[in-house]
Amino acid sequence: MIASARWRAAPARPRPFFLWLFLPSLAAALLFVAALCEVAQYAFRVFTPGSLEAGGFTLENFARLARPIYLSVLADTLLISLATALFTLLLSYPVAYAMVRAKSDFVRSLIMLLAVTPLFTGEIVRTYAWILVLGSNGFVNSVLKAAGLVNAPLTMLYTRFGVIVALVQFSMPVMIIILAAALAHVDRNCERAAANLGAGPAKVFRHVTLPLTLPGIVSGTVVIFAWTMSAFSTPQLVGGGKVLMISNLVYLQGLSSFNFPFAAVLSLLALAVAIGALGSMRPFVSRLERKAAVN
Amino acid sequence: MKGEASPAVELIKVSKSFDAVQAVRELSLTIRQGELLTLLGPSGCGKTTLLNMLAGFEVPSAGSIVIGGRDVTAVPPYRRNTGMVFQNYALFPHMNVFDNVAFGLRMRKMAKFEMARAVGHALEMVKLEGLASRRIRQLSGGQQQRVALARAIVIEPKVLLLDEPLSALDRNLRGAMQVELRELHERTGLTTLFVTHDQEEALGLSDRIVVMSRGEIQQVATPLELYRLPANGFVASFIGEINRLPPARCRTEGNDVVFEIAGGIVLRARKRNQPTIGAGQETHLFVRPEHLTLVEGDRPAPNRVSCRVTAHLYQGAYTLTRVDAGPLGNLQLRVLGGEVIAAAPIGSQIKISIDLDKAVILAG
Amino acid sequence: MNAWLATRLSAGLFWSAVALILGYMTIPALVVLMTSVSPSELLEFPPSGFSLRWYERALTYPDFQGAFVNGLIVTAFASSLSLLIGSAFAYLVERYTFGGRVALEAILASPLIVPHFTTGFGFLLLGANLRIGQSYAVVVATHVLLTLPFVTRSVYVSLRNLDPALERAATNLGASPLQVLRRVTLPLLLPGMAGGWLVAAMLSLTEFTASLYVTAQRTQTLPVAMYTYVREYTDPTIAAISALLITFTTILMLIANRYLGLRRILAIDAH
Repeated sequence: MIASARWRAAPARPRPFFLWLFLPSLAAALLFVAALCEVAQYAFRVFTPGSLEAGGFTLENFARLARPIYLSVLADTLLISLATALFTLLLSYPVAYAMVRAKSDFVRSLIMLLAVTPLFTGEIVRTYAWILVLGSNGFVNSVLKAAGLVNAPLTMLYTRFGVIVALVQFSMPVMIIILAAALAHVDRNCERAAANLGAGPAKVFRHVTLPLTLPGIVSGTVVIFAWTMSAFSTPQLVGGGKVLMISNLVYLQGLSSFNFPFAAVLSLLALAVAIGALGSMRPFVSRLERKAAVN
Repeated sequence: MKGEASPAVELIKVSKSFDAVQAVRELSLTIRQGELLTLLGPSGCGKTTLLNMLAGFEVPSAGSIVIGGRDVTAVPPYRRNTGMVFQNYALFPHMNVFDNVAFGLRMRKMAKFEMARAVGHALEMVKLEGLASRRIRQLSGGQQQRVALARAIVIEPKVLLLDEPLSALDRNLRGAMQVELRELHERTGLTTLFVTHDQEEALGLSDRIVVMSRGEIQQVATPLELYRLPANGFVASFIGEINRLPPARCRTEGNDVVFEIAGGIVLRARKRNQPTIGAGQETHLFVRPEHLTLVEGDRPAPNRVSCRVTAHLYQGAYTLTRVDAGPLGNLQLRVLGGEVIAAAPIGSQIKISIDLDKAVILAG
Repeated sequence: MNAWLATRLSAGLFWSAVALILGYMTIPALVVLMTSVSPSELLEFPPSGFSLRWYERALTYPDFQGAFVNGLIVTAFASSLSLLIGSAFAYLVERYTFGGRVALEAILASPLIVPHFTTGFGFLLLGANLRIGQSYAVVVATHVLLTLPFVTRSVYVSLRNLDPALERAATNLGASPLQVLRRVTLPLLLPGMAGGWLVAAMLSLTEFTASLYVTAQRTQTLPVAMYTYVREYTDPTIAAISALLITFTTILMLIANRYLGLRRILAIDAH
């Protein structure tokens, strides 16, 4: 009683407009949770072929995941996502570095525009563009043929290679933004101090810049990994049904076979992998950030 | 000791421009072996640019830089062996104290055993023994400052560069660190270049001071000389408080020099050995507030001037009293204690004496 | 001199690599522009001539016209709602502590992590259960949730950079909370809100995966219509539409960079 009385006596901090600010956010959050709950509950329902109505409770849908065909799709998805994340990192770091460190304002803005604009043209436009680039009569094959480097066109469309090439370009803007933010926070004087103490450019990068941007590198890579896990249009169009990722299975099961329960299971699986990847990164990154935190 | 024969650092007609701005103009300077030299000047005077050129972070537009007898103008920073302490310390946040201090030694591929000893010694020098495994974030500002110092001295640099290293510390700590910096300099004997905009720091620490303004050197002198005999008006008004009197014509009269100032005021000083003052020449007189004294009653005193009190600024040990001295303009005098505030209230007429023998006299 | 040469050489290599990588990022867009003006129905490089026939077809194709209007309607509602909710939420998170704040933050940031097809599928099921099917309401709700994290982040960064002394000064001068909000806080947040809204609008306009689930023929947005077209036809009509979208986006980015600063919108320099 005493404690609660004291609590009451303490002057409440005024919170103008609290409800006005709070209710819309709460409504949005509830809506999203409701949508995810729908997916979750469908995962436990019996599928009746030919009917949109799902039946009673079952765990059958989860057991179905163990079939080799689904396991191989899952393995492919993981492999493609991992390769995409790593290549995206390798190609994005130099661009982010140039974007942050270029001496001229114009060059910085130019790199920024070239690197970030693709993010906003949308996935359909970009995926379609890659069909034009990678197709057997596409841009790359035409250039190679004209240069006399190949006789028959290379097969790039409908291969894992083609899908990864498109996905990496797709993921780079986000990675570049994450890495640029990390690089922008590196104290230039730390690099100068290292040089002053005898470290050449390569050693400055190896001992100072790289470790200080490691949190950005890790979080960027994991974000891209999770992102690629849920890529749909690229494997769908560039993969052309020959490269299947979880997203394509969900589409096939949900919108072609109308097997909502199994589509729900696959959706949950993708969500679980994405959350798992990000969750496992969290303690790692925060440890890195504690280590590297600039005062 | 090699002494005067081989200077530690030589700057020869060094210039640096950024786009249209000339930060440093044809500047030449010699730093003697083992001295603590201070670059003093207002912000934007080019002192930081000069420091960055010495460290190799900026390349001069013209001129050359010689460190320890070797022309390093085109040598990259990591081959110069200058130890720099940055304004914000720039300690590596991802390394502990030991690894920060050891960094330069690792780059020099020093053996582990030797390195541990050198780092230990350096930490001892800055009084941080026992903190080797601390993280940087766990250190106070003053401790970080010491780590930065240890990191710079452990590589036994040819010249130690200090870029306003005390500016980030609070006032009390700054005084203590000044004393320690001076002691550290005595113990290590390292040639040191100290950059600051704080004249008290400069006067207190330095063997010699270089006063810079607008990319040029105004004067190089010991702190004592600088205060007593500033070379020009900029230095005179930049170092300490000073009253600038209106321009005067001077002539000699026996053992005296007589200054005639517009408004019929005549001031006298004893003749001195200063070749710049010739008869009939226009001169500028600068007088420090401590060389203006109150004259009680009708006591005779040299260069008596009547004036009206306009303000008192009580400073504790002394009071700065501002007066309107008619044709001599507004003057400021320094009076010990605070009794003057009651004795000569604002608005009252008083007499002051100007001690021109200690004044700075510059040719016009 | 040796070190100087090495530095020059490695700098040259570095910038060539950056140029190549940027080329890889940009070539698809250039190929689309090239294809869009090709007279031929089949892919050919370089194009055998110049023709605007695919632009004509794209602009007169009824599905695209309908989808374009649908997309604008959805984007207008979704990005505006997202701006309102996101700004309110950013203010809430930055200024107030309340029970469940962390949970609310996690839920509203999670659309970044949840695969778009999961989100889309969820809203499809939710719409079906609420008997509002694949209506505009469902599409707009999906887009609001998907764009909310971006708006929130943008406004939140602006709020963090806002000096709280300004609001205190206004209060001290006699402004009521509402007046402080209207006269001081909101005007200072405007650039952040504009940036957030822009990002939300662009993402909503081009969102595809989730939209594929929650739209029907009647409510389909432009990317969905484009996808359907790509699966049925191979002619460069899509290249023409894509070229228009790419041009539009590039101009928009240039304007945004000029007036709002892309770095600020993307929170690259944010602390």
